[in-house]
Parts: sequence; structure tokens; C-alpha cells
Amino acid sequence: MDVVGLARLQFAVTGSLHFLFVVLTLGLAPLVAIMHTRYAIGGNPLHERMTRFWGQIYVINYALGIVTGLVMEFQFGLSWSGLSRYAGDVFGAPLALETLLAFFLESTFLGLWIFGWHRLPRGLHVACIWVVTLTAYASALFIMVANSFLQHPAGAAEEGGRLVLRDFGSLFTNPSLVFALPHVVGAGLWAGGFVMMGAAAYHLFRRTPEREFFTRSLRLGVLTSLAGSLLTVGFGYAQFGPVASVQPGKFDGAVPGTALGLMIMIGQLVQFAVTFVLAPLLIRDLLARWRWLHPLLMAMTPLPFLAAIAGWLAREAGRQPWLVYGKLSVADALTPGLTRADITASFVGFAGVLGLLALVDYVLIARAVRRGPGQVALGAADLPVAAEPAPAHSL
Amino acid sequence: MDIFWFLTFAVLLAGYFALEGFDIGLGVLLPVLGRSPAARDRLVGAMAPFVLANEVWLVALAGVLSGAFPASQPLSRVYPLVVALLLAWIVRDAGLWFRRRADGAAWRLFWDGALCAGSAGLALAWGAILVAVARGLRPLDAPGVVAGAAGGVALLALFAWHGRTFAAWRLREGPRAGGRALLLSACAAAAPAVLVTAAAGAHLLDGAAPDPALTVLSVMVVPFAPILVGAQVWVWRTFSRGALPTFF
Repeated sequence: MDVVGLARLQFAVTGSLHFLFVVLTLGLAPLVAIMHTRYAIGGNPLHERMTRFWGQIYVINYALGIVTGLVMEFQFGLSWSGLSRYAGDVFGAPLALETLLAFFLESTFLGLWIFGWHRLPRGLHVACIWVVTLTAYASALFIMVANSFLQHPAGAAEEGGRLVLRDFGSLFTNPSLVFALPHVVGAGLWAGGFVMMGAAAYHLFRRTPEREFFTRSLRLGVLTSLAGSLLTVGFGYAQFGPVASVQPGKFDGAVPGTALGLMIMIGQLVQFAVTFVLAPLLIRDLLARWRWLHPLLMAMTPLPFLAAIAGWLAREAGRQPWLVYGKLSVADALTPGLTRADITASFVGFAGVLGLLALVDYVLIARAVRRGPGQVALGAADLPVAAEPAPAHSL
Repeated sequence: MDIFWFLTFAVLLAGYFALEGFDIGLGVLLPVLGRSPAARDRLVGAMAPFVLANEVWLVALAGVLSGAFPASQPLSRVYPLVVALLLAWIVRDAGLWFRRRADGAAWRLFWDGALCAGSAGLALAWGAILVAVARGLRPLDAPGVVAGAAGGVALLALFAWHGRTFAAWRLREGPRAGGRALLLSACAAAAPAVLVTAAAGAHLLDGAAPDPALTVLSVMVVPFAPILVGAQVWVWRTFSRGALPTFF
């Protein structure tokens, strides 16, 4: 594989890994915020346990979202300096806004939320998780703005061999963005709902003592997936018109065509199952009681993640050979002088380290699910600041 | 307008070194100051609530670089060093997030090792990057490698001292428990980065985006600046005193 191919592969692998964790973050953040709000208002201990249990799953997942995101952020400057040189005056703005207005606040307030148990007043503590949720969605907005600009460079004009910003508002009304953003948000809710459903099915199947906890979680998970699937599939189909108008023939190639087909197949089948089987079975908690269905629910959990990766492959592979559609090719955007040794070493390093950490993270999430709400570290008691006194000698 | 964004860049970089410097330093000193698992838990508990709020300064810096100085292109010219920096950062963060997520002494020891090794890698990579920038981002030669290694070791020592004053202040231990020592070590930790940025200022400004793009960026960001600052202040007010959180 040549240097361009390796740099593309590095971006595709790290980007896919990143999105596996981002999609769950987007789905779980609002659910945890709602649980925490209900606890703050009603004081029901069950809501506190739900907040801490699902909050811990959310936080373990978030760890990999951060470290994979770091690599994404710096990769533009490392491997694709031609993009900044040609389109940085426009493309750089949403990236800068994502870091300053979204991620900066998201991470700071997440720290306050994680470590603020027993310390912050209840109302302010709940406000922290809402700011985290809001800024996570602001991140999604800015990143989708940046990506949509690559699909369709609206709001910019070429001057002296580089793109200059003509109309900032056009970045946000880009036809590649307006239906894609709710499509991605829906996919996040779907993934979050399915993780909740799968984990609840595990505990109900194992007949652990947490029956009420997981019957409620199962209901919340299925209803969230239902809402998510409606958004995802609806806005997915709605995209075909605008996409065809700015990127004709986008899905004609073998890779984007196959990825699109896989995503639609999963989306259709699973939406059908959620809408006509799982959601109706919530009546009188039949779904929680029909134990024979639970292994199937567990097996279905990864499907929204698979569909999400297929969706990104279709969107990005369909842009080839352009980095900025119709303006700048991927090959021309490559950092000049990037050597094969450099890109090979960084690809092996990033893919190896992040791949291993992703596996460890999923094992830890599975472990946290298995241990259940009885053993949650999030919100556990603090440590006294004074060192443990040495055992006193008796006189 | 480009001067405003250059100052923003400098403030973010100085803030990153002053704040994340003590996390990195404490990570490096973990096996020295924390001989027992319980002692290491205390040290990690001291820095844990600050790490998330500290490391975002560098992410914001990368955002400013791509939004306000898109044509400056410093990253690709020190490609291997930036890759090393990112890998060290990932390993350090994994150590923090994972060390308490499973039971067993071996698990904890392994991720404490990752935390320490990642922190050391961060300090060494930063030192080498600062030296490379100070030398004008020339292609690497033999004296460059020696100077980079020396810079890395020097920054490692500086961060270790900063980490030590932070631990003394937060855990209220030893003669240097006062806030003044911490302020001094924070300024010292930020100084090399500020000096190098000032020296490389002309190159950075050459790569600035045109004024209309910078104006858009300012109009979007400046109204939120009080919230960004307020969130940071709130972290310090909340976690400077009292018991140590146990999640990391």
C-alpha cells in the first residue's frame, strides 16, 4: 500500500474506533441526565441507583471516546496538512469551535459530574450532566458541519488557489448536513437504547435480584431505540434527495454500495423488530417476563454499532477520490514529504494501542454490567485526605 | 485580529503546561512518592478531579491551531514526536481510567505502570518538541537529537518538581504545603513553552487565517469565554480541599 493508502487506512480505522464510542456517548448521555434529574426531583433511591449504574457504563465508554478523539483531532495536522493549506480558513472554524465551545466544556463538566458526588449541591450536580449532554450534541453538530463541508463545500469560494469563507451560515444549512445530523443523533439513541436493552436482558435472563431495576431499564431501552430508529431510518431515506443533488453517483462504487446496503438491511430489519415486536411486548411487561427472548435481545445489541460503522463507510468512501468534494483530491491533501516509515509506524502504533484499549474497554463495560447496580464505583465514598495513621502501639 | 488569536494560543499553551504539568509530574513520581498501593491511590485521588479539566487546554490549543493558524503547519514537521506524544497521552489516560475498573493487585500495578510510563513519555515528547520548535523545525540531525533528548529530560525534571509541589499542597504535607510554592512551580512549568511560543510567533502569525474568518471565530467564541473560565474556576473551588475522590 502506498503512503496515501496508509494515511487513509489510519484515518478510517481510528475514525471507526472513535465513532463506536461516540455513538454510545450520544445515546447514553441524555438518558443518564434524565435519570439524574428524576432522582434530584423525586428523591427515589431507584433513580439514584439507575443514574450511578448507567452513568458508570457511560463514563467507562467515554474514556475510549476521549483517547480515540485525540488522535482524530491531531491527525488533520499530521497527515493531511494539504487540507489545512487549501481549505483551513473554512474547515478549521468548525473544528476550532468544537474544541473550544463543545469539548472543553464537556470534559470540564464531566470531571465535575464524575468527582462531584457528595460534594456538589444536588441541583448543580444535575446541571453538570445536562451541560455534558448539551456539549456532546454541540460536538456532534460541529463535527458534522466540518464533515458536511468536505462532502459539499458550501459557503466558500476559491481565491488564489485556496478556499475562503464567504457565508458562515451556509456551513450550517449545507444540504449534506441538515438530514445527516438527525440521522446520526438517532443512531446514537438507538445504540444507547440497545445497550440498555441488552444489559437488562442479561440480568432478567440470569434472574438476578435486580428485577425492578432492569424491567424499567428494559422499557427505557426499547422506547429509546424506538425513537432512535424512527429518526435514523426517516432521516436516512430523506438524505437520498439532497445527497444526489450535490454528490451524484455517490453510492455507485463497490465499497460505498456494499456498506450502504448492509446499513439499510440492518436498519430495516431491526426497526421492524423494535416497532412491531419489542415495543408492543412492553405492554404488561411481557418482554421482561418472556425469558426465552432475552438471549436474542443480547445478541441484537451490537447491530446498531455495526450499522453506524457501515453508514460512515458509505458516506466517506462515496466521497472518494475527493477530500473536499470536487475541489481537492485526497492525494493532493496528503502532507508533503510524509514518509512511508512515518505513516507505517504511526498506523501500527495508533491502531495497535487503540484497538487493544477498545477491547479492554468493552470487557470492562461487560464486567460492569455483569456486576450490576450493587457494586458501582461511580459516586462511591471518598478517601480522607489525611494518610492512614500508622497503627498505634499499645503501651 | 491575528494578534488576539496568537495571545489566545499563548494563554492556552501556558495554561496547559502550568496545569497538566503537575498531572504529568505526579504521574512520573508515582512509584517514588507512592510506595504502597494505598499511597498511590491518594496521589491519584489528589490529581484525578483536575485531569479532565487540564488536558482539554491542549485539545483547545489544537483547535485554535487549525481554526486560526491553518497555514502554519507545525505538526507535520515534527510528525514522529507528535505521534509519540499522542501515544504517551493515550497510555497515561488509559492508566487513569482503568486502574480501578477491575480488582486485583496485578491489574492495578499494570495500569499504575501505564500511568507512570505515559506521563514520562508526555514530558519527554514535549521537551523534544519545544527544542525542535526553538531550533526552527529544521530536519532532524545528530545535534538535534541530543538537544531534543536533553530538553525532554529537563522538562521531565521540571514537571516532576511541579507535581511534587502540587501533591504537597493538595495533601497538606511537608514544609512546602503553601499555595505560593505551587504558583511558583506552575509559572516555572509554563515558562519554557511561553518562551518558545514567543520565539516562534512570527512563523505562527504567517500562517494565520484571513481577518473575516478570524472575526467569525471571535464572534462565536468570545461570548462563551466567561463560561470556559468559570468552569475551570469551579473545578478548583470544588476540589482544592477536603476528601479525595476515588473513581480514578
